[in-house]
Amino acid sequence: MIPLSLPAVAEGEAPFVTRLRRSPEGSFDSILLNEDEVGASFSGEHGLLTVDGAAMAELDGDIVLVQPQAGRIERLLRAGSRHNSLLVTERCDQLCIMCSQPPKKTHHDRFELFEAACLLAEPHCLIGITGGEPMLYKEQLFRMVERVLSTRDDLEFHILSNGQHFGREDVEQLRQPIWQRVSWGIPLYAPKPELHDRIVGKAGAFARLEQSFVHLLMAGGRIELRTVLLSSNRALLPALARHITSRLRFIEVWSIMQLENIGFAKNRWQDLYVDHAADFSEVAAALDEAALRGVRAQLFNFPRCTVPAAYRPYAAASISDWKRKYLPPCDGCRDRDRCCGFFAWHPDEQALAGVTPL
Amino acid sequence: MCGEPPGRRPCGAGAMTAAPFLPLRTRPLPDGEALCVADTGKFFTGSSEFLRRLASDGLSEADRIFLEREGVAVAEGDELGAGAYAYGIAERLTAPGSLDYLILVPTLRCNLSCSYCQVSRAGVKQSGYDWTEATLASVLKVIDSLPTQRLKIEFQGGEPTLRPDLIRAVIERCERFADRQFVICTNLQELNPEILALFDREEVFISTSLDGDAATHDRQRTGRGGTKAATGSFFDNIAFVLDRYGPRKVSALPTIDPAAPPDMDDLIDSYASRGFNSIFLRPINYQGFARKRHSQSREHSEAWRDYHRAFVRNLIARNWQDRSRVLEESYFSICLRRVFQPGRDRYVDLRNPNPMGIDYIVVDHDGRVYPTDEARMLTRAGVVDLSIGDVANGWASAQRDSLNFHATNQFDPACQRCTYQPFCGRDLVDDLSRYGRIDLRRTDTEFCRRHLSIFDFIFELIYDDDLAVRYSLTRWLRLPGTPAALGARLA
Repeated sequence: MIPLSLPAVAEGEAPFVTRLRRSPEGSFDSILLNEDEVGASFSGEHGLLTVDGAAMAELDGDIVLVQPQAGRIERLLRAGSRHNSLLVTERCDQLCIMCSQPPKKTHHDRFELFEAACLLAEPHCLIGITGGEPMLYKEQLFRMVERVLSTRDDLEFHILSNGQHFGREDVEQLRQPIWQRVSWGIPLYAPKPELHDRIVGKAGAFARLEQSFVHLLMAGGRIELRTVLLSSNRALLPALARHITSRLRFIEVWSIMQLENIGFAKNRWQDLYVDHAADFSEVAAALDEAALRGVRAQLFNFPRCTVPAAYRPYAAASISDWKRKYLPPCDGCRDRDRCCGFFAWHPDEQALAGVTPL
Repeated sequence: MCGEPPGRRPCGAGAMTAAPFLPLRTRPLPDGEALCVADTGKFFTGSSEFLRRLASDGLSEADRIFLEREGVAVAEGDELGAGAYAYGIAERLTAPGSLDYLILVPTLRCNLSCSYCQVSRAGVKQSGYDWTEATLASVLKVIDSLPTQRLKIEFQGGEPTLRPDLIRAVIERCERFADRQFVICTNLQELNPEILALFDREEVFISTSLDGDAATHDRQRTGRGGTKAATGSFFDNIAFVLDRYGPRKVSALPTIDPAAPPDMDDLIDSYASRGFNSIFLRPINYQGFARKRHSQSREHSEAWRDYHRAFVRNLIARNWQDRSRVLEESYFSICLRRVFQPGRDRYVDLRNPNPMGIDYIVVDHDGRVYPTDEARMLTRAGVVDLSIGDVANGWASAQRDSLNFHATNQFDPACQRCTYQPFCGRDLVDDLSRYGRIDLRRTDTEFCRRHLSIFDFIFELIYDDDLAVRYSLTRWLRLPGTPAALGARLA
């Protein structure tokens, strides 16, 4: 696992954003002073900074948020990684039964710092925005996205949202060309309101989501639809596929996602988890329906050796680099580089039981 | 009441049960059922009882649920349903991008003299049928001006490999395109090191004609006015390029004389044995020399349609017997995919609207620009001048605009009532070729008869319960598995 947060000592009090460098290349850089077995120290316009627990080779080029008072840095945009995302809030107005990142009540607004970080991003980056529910701070979010994208025409955003907050008043704004560089990752768990609402823990969520889809359709918004596979929705997966190919054809792609063993799902694993390797029929029927009617679909968090060969091309290397692991038997697998592997926190014993290297 | 004119449903209390928006067309099926298709191309079969309920405005609650689930009805107040309906219409319409597909004819000369030659080729020793230096320069200038990253070029003729120097000049000019593909349409009569050097390039593909077994190929193509040796060298050369490049880089199509079609198994074997899985069964095109020598090709007989259907059935049986490969008839697959997967294919001969001179053009041997390959054939035959400009001076002409005013089936009264309109296309040049006019009643045209027949057959197969049929259909639709059904039924 790659640590995203590291102990650090910095001068000053206010948090700031900087890029860690061996040698100066631009403003906002903190330049390496020296490096030892404990960590590395830097100097920049905010003074001295010492980071522990990582070698300079790993840190070089990282854009970090320094929090002097907390004594930490957060590696917001790691150099060379394709899996950078910004956690803009931990508040959420849904309470999904399998939430991997259970919401918190408090919120610290850090949009300005994130904006500064995005402006320093490597060329042609796709930056993820996640939560909590980012759209709870719609005004700040939209302002940050528009400022960054109008300054940097090489960047794109992917924003995870529960789709409860798009309004008719947003359509004109989201129709502007700049928003074509934004895609929205929005979950839909069932074709029936009752079940979807029960899974997300919010009455009326399905109906509100449909309204949001209307607005996104009218704005030409780019949508990645997401469905986590659960014991409660597996039987309805083919019906959900039909629902999508009939009513939601304007999405860019549909991601069917296997459960992540963390957050609420950790303690509810036995109740929620679907062993797709034992019975792939519903997932197969859903993928066939999507393919039949020309809606692009993909499988996230499905290790390739657990998927029948005909459906393996759908299984993407979806798990972010920093929280991905492979098991010893994976070393000899010819599909390893194309495989999602496992979440770092997935119990080894359970994972090992299903692995059959290709 | 809220002020609606008489005859409309009142809103208020009645709104819960207001009739859904139901843009359906029906086509009778043999047993009293009907195929029902919405404007968006979404479809199902309805029983005779359902048709009675529909006609008498007596839809049941179960009907409504079914129709909404299938996306063919939009309930009152269902904003997302209404949006999905509008999107479904838009998906069926061609939205052409900028020019990224060129058909180039560097020479009209040919070293064969096929009975059905569609382009009325010129003799191999004739002069004045090749691009001049100035024409080549204009073509290269057009290529330089293209705004895309993607480019496909097809070299047609005549026999384009008579001028490998011109092909090479074009290909070398295209290196700036990230995604580029060149197809050389050749009769493979003669290979030499210069031609092979072109074929060796990774982005070059070979397309040739193979009319079936040696006797048929000889009768229709190589044996005419030549010697038996020509047939032999073709079969030697196709074996040579297949051995050198494999079937991935080589494709072939047969031209069929409907008056004397080849034995089906011989034809399929001739393709399958060479590793060709796709067979594009083309009846002789009513173009060029074929207009006189094969004048019956103006209207295809029911016998031809029977042959095509039997051919597809034959492939279905073969695919079921030998699962190691999937054989397909290309045009059937194109039409089948248009039923289920709007916007996926970029097959320019079947689309609607069918924009002319926008995203692809044909540049003839004399530098004149045509909207389609058939348009240049028709002009060459002296039927009607369909050129829209020339490569030096451009083709954004009044001629192009007047073609484009009519290049759609959207407003044709016969098409508007047809269940297959969402899947079908419009081919002005075909109408002009056969009838000299475009304003015939659509159902009186060969284009319409051909497509009614093929879509009837497609829906017959979609609702065929034989697993072997569904197996082939789903392979042709590029599905990973074979679902239990491909179409819904409403009892």
